[in-house]
Amino acid sequence: MTAAELPPGISTDLRRLADAELSLPSRLGHVALLLGAITMTIIVSSLWLTEAQLPVRTRIAFAVMIVIGLSWTAFAVWVLTHRRILLARHRIIAGRLAVTFTAVFALGALGVGVATGRPEALSAAGLGTMMLVAAVALLIRAHREFSRLVSRRDALAREIGR
Amino acid sequence: MTDIEDQAFPAGKEDEWLAVRCQLGERAAFDELIERYQGPLWRYVRRVAPDEDAAREVTQDAWLRVIRGIGRLRDPARLRPWLFGIVRRALMDRLRDQYARAVETDCDVTEIPARVDSALPELQLQQVERELAALPIVEREVLTLFYLKELSLGEVAEVLNLPVGTVKSRLFRARQMLRGELTAKGELR
Repeated sequence: MTAAELPPGISTDLRRLADAELSLPSRLGHVALLLGAITMTIIVSSLWLTEAQLPVRTRIAFAVMIVIGLSWTAFAVWVLTHRRILLARHRIIAGRLAVTFTAVFALGALGVGVATGRPEALSAAGLGTMMLVAAVALLIRAHREFSRLVSRRDALAREIGR
Repeated sequence: MTDIEDQAFPAGKEDEWLAVRCQLGERAAFDELIERYQGPLWRYVRRVAPDEDAAREVTQDAWLRVIRGIGRLRDPARLRPWLFGIVRRALMDRLRDQYARAVETDCDVTEIPARVDSALPELQLQQVERELAALPIVEREVLTLFYLKELSLGEVAEVLNLPVGTVKSRLFRARQMLRGELTAKGELR
């Protein structure tokens, strides 16, 4: 076999690699992990900030939970930016998930806060609203980038007669 | 006989179209990308890597980097040099010792004849293939990228992250070494 010839099996190996790397469920799983970790961190932070007389042991427990939440958040962000990169279509799906999730969370927390008057619920609703705004901004950006790429793809397709 | 400055390879709108589709996340585009470039990238890796096992490892590693990195490719029209650049980084990571031992003896660009190909007018592809393995890694690499018609001179410079003048000097030296090898074996007079 000369250097010019592909060895047997390498095409199959590369397609398997692409299948594994481009798996959508894996990406969405990490998006869900990211949203869950941020939510947990917000809830625990809200409880801590709004409860004035917490015992030291409880504060330590909350601090540990916040560190865990931030660690999972950092891990999910790292995976989504280095291992399971979100391509244009994936970003739109992830953006829609994030908007839906944060809207439900913010509205739920607001409802609980209004109904019960609990300050931690209102605090969580405030942070949830900030998350919702960020999620909407990311979704708008994802749509713009997607549209730009689709326009370029279609223009190129016309140029090369595809 | 080809003027080294004028040698051009069509980068093509096809490549850009393919890269944009990959950036959109079209699964079929990745299969087309593999189909189109697995051969050229394999030939580059196989000619530089010491054996087939190492070449397979580098190839897998490089394609992993391609799939993970194509979303960040800023100029999809530069797909071809970007791909070869990624493969080169994978090769350098795998063959770090060999690259480190490579002696930097790039000569003065002004000493190079305008028509470099005239140094080996009667050279055949099969002869180059056979003798490449005898050359040091730096010369083997530059000959593989340019002489075996995968990339233009400008693209080779981009892949190697070197000025065009340095690439020309390496090409010139590599051809001289190749000519020496062939002459010593009586295949070239």
